[in-house]
Amino acid sequence: MKVALLGVGGCGTRLVDQFVRTEHRTGRSVTNGNVLAFHTESQPLSQTTALSTDQHILLGDTHPAVLRRDTNSPATDSPNSSHDPQLQSETSTTTSKQGASSNSRTREYDINEYGVGGDPDVGAQVAKAERPEIRRALDKIDETEVAATMIVAGLGGGTGAGVGSVLLEELTDIYETEVYTLGVLPADTESDQRALTAARGLRTLVPRAASTLLVDNDSWSRDRDAVADCYQSINQMTVDRLLSVFGAGEANTTFESELRIDPADISRTLAVGGVTTVGRATVEIDSNAHGLLARILRLLGRSQPSGSTPVDASKIKTLISRAVQSKLTLPCEITSADRVLLILSGPPDTISRKGFETGRYLLEEETQTVEVLAGDEPIQNTTELTATVVLANVTSVPQIDELQRRAVPTEDAVTTTSGPSTTTEQTATTDEMNTQTVEPSADADSTSAEFDFTNAETASETTDSTEQ
Amino acid sequence: MKLATIGVGNAGSKLIDQMIEFEFETGRNLCRHALVINTARTDLAKPQQLDEDRRVLIGDTHQKARGHGVGGDAKIGAEVAQTDIDEIRRVFDDVEIHEVDAVLVAAGLGGGTGSGAAPVVIDELQKMYDEPVYGLGVLPGTYEGGRPALNAARSLQSFVNKVDNFIAFDNDAWRSRGQTIEQGYEEMNEELATRIVTLLAAGEVDESEVGENAMDSSDIMRTLDTGGVSSIGYASTDVTPAKEGLLANFKEVDDSQSESTDAAKIKGLVRRATNSRLTVPCDVSSADRALIVFAGPPDVISRKGVESAREWLEQEADTVDVLAGDDPRPDSSTLAAVVLLSNVTDTPRINEIQDQAVDAQNKIQEQDAVREEEIQSLITDDDNDLDPIV
Repeated sequence: MKVALLGVGGCGTRLVDQFVRTEHRTGRSVTNGNVLAFHTESQPLSQTTALSTDQHILLGDTHPAVLRRDTNSPATDSPNSSHDPQLQSETSTTTSKQGASSNSRTREYDINEYGVGGDPDVGAQVAKAERPEIRRALDKIDETEVAATMIVAGLGGGTGAGVGSVLLEELTDIYETEVYTLGVLPADTESDQRALTAARGLRTLVPRAASTLLVDNDSWSRDRDAVADCYQSINQMTVDRLLSVFGAGEANTTFESELRIDPADISRTLAVGGVTTVGRATVEIDSNAHGLLARILRLLGRSQPSGSTPVDASKIKTLISRAVQSKLTLPCEITSADRVLLILSGPPDTISRKGFETGRYLLEEETQTVEVLAGDEPIQNTTELTATVVLANVTSVPQIDELQRRAVPTEDAVTTTSGPSTTTEQTATTDEMNTQTVEPSADADSTSAEFDFTNAETASETTDSTEQ
Repeated sequence: MKLATIGVGNAGSKLIDQMIEFEFETGRNLCRHALVINTARTDLAKPQQLDEDRRVLIGDTHQKARGHGVGGDAKIGAEVAQTDIDEIRRVFDDVEIHEVDAVLVAAGLGGGTGSGAAPVVIDELQKMYDEPVYGLGVLPGTYEGGRPALNAARSLQSFVNKVDNFIAFDNDAWRSRGQTIEQGYEEMNEELATRIVTLLAAGEVDESEVGENAMDSSDIMRTLDTGGVSSIGYASTDVTPAKEGLLANFKEVDDSQSESTDAAKIKGLVRRATNSRLTVPCDVSSADRALIVFAGPPDVISRKGVESAREWLEQEADTVDVLAGDDPRPDSSTLAAVVLLSNVTDTPRINEIQDQAVDAQNKIQEQDAVREEEIQSLITDDDNDLDPIV
């Protein structure tokens, strides 16, 4: 399935960059160059290696609330703007922006204060203000060449969640084809602010996207000191699984697949909407049985990869079972899945029909849904057999509940501090009252902590008019 | 018999392709016209025996298909066939229908294209022509799961109601250990093509060879005239000492057999054809009519054997409507017997598919009912405190 990838924010940009690199390395072609990276901060864009500069879209460089990395940052006279962000103290970041002082959000080490400073509402305002720029950038995507578009973003970031939300709105308005989202959820070790952004991001993206694939940083970063240390491996895992799903049937192979995964199979599986998660398992095919000569020939690329002995049916069944029981990109209760897609990739002469069919049936039993589509993807010159399982519309997801548990008190705290003369000592009920009753003050434009929709609209209109 | 054939969907197209290959290899001439219809551009390219202009892509302008298949959704399969029916009709206009005896539509019933689009095509054919339209349908195996079973159960109804006869093929009966996916489907297609072509091509080879006992197209059509679901049995035996012939790789070849076939052998062959794997397992006695075709060198087909075989089948099938005839193949090194059991009403596999389909339909409806609600509750916190960003 050909998919256009639009990375948003730092995480999205890195993922998309890595995706394109992996495409080149594996010979699979999913994007066909239909790739863009959107960010409100220039550095992550310039650090990409597989994207060309015309695929970089820097947004908000004239927006008053966006902190630019270069010195001529408009509308800010912050003395810190030219310094390394890592060296800046937490308090200085909050005062570094005009208007931001009225909104003293808890900033923690994992918020990049360049760009929108982790504020999704600023992100959304910037994106709304820059709609013409976004539309111009989207002209570089050939919608007729792809079957779908996917927005890739870290949902804990202000740009990822904020710009991503507006971009999704824009795409679903102008595209006839499906628009998916790939979202990365923040880990427990990341700040509550990021948890709040992600929880709100889910509320915005999930109803609008054709489907939202999620990757949970927390489950994939356990036993490590910091999430940053394993970004690389989480990203690679994500990219590998994305490629397994969308790259199925797109590799250049002379083998015909008997049960090819059509793009329609993928889109039908995802068509139920909601949240999607992906599992994967790989098994090494035993090649010793074919003797030394066969192995040498295989190394030289002179023979069929594995002779013609099919892998034992029970082994394939076990592989499929392992894939669905494996650590999913987002752990969930698998019986809550609505539709399921199975892709078995490996040398075509090793995939046992019986194993494939029993494995598929097993999926139907384990996930308790009859909507299981399955296909094979013949890959030459590999000694691995891989099962990839897509669980679409899973509705029992502990990690999302956990994010919401963290997000609610954080939002209360934020609204409290932004409200006039309220203190953090006030009870949660009062905070809720404030959320509803506080009038948007005239100067609380771009960094207003109010999450009220009309308020955000007002703010963006203000921004629009100042631009014109 | 002379046929115009249409393969719908992946399974149907490959079957037609395999039939043409088999008749070409064995010097038969059955499929005078062939056409394949698919919703996936890639799958449409697979058949090797058909010219480019005999392949029809449907649904390439449909929002959900776009030339990428219908994702196993029979409803979309039917929708796109309906939309593009003019395109199908236009390609079928080339067929000189007076040259053929019947039209055969082949499809897999588990997928979306075959189960959905084929009944639409059949409807159109019945409107356009007086010639009988037969269906050849592949039933999904138990392990293919609930959705294919639901597609098949629903499509089977349309098929049986619309066609003049429905020849069923059960995937489950042909599943064996040790096959790869590739081999599995190829073997099944070969088995089915062998049966269909040997049966329907009877009486169409060399006009000069037509003997007094030769099977005639009209006999076959009369047997199929019952409507309903039919099953085909097949058995073959080697009749030449040398095994180097083109057909030496046939399955079920009796290796010890090298002497000329006598009456007992003929009867044994028919018994084996009937009791061995039928295309769809059924109670033989529930058949309405039956027919036996003997294809092979005329000199090995014992008249006495044919008659006793016919009588045996008459008893087994519990019907007096049993025809038997020859399809002389002087150069053939095998003798094959094909048994057609027409309108069998006791087929356990079809009942199983229907049960599985009912369960699947219930599950799907349950899921549909709570889907939106469950998504909302997943993304909303308990007290609905969190607001969306935009």
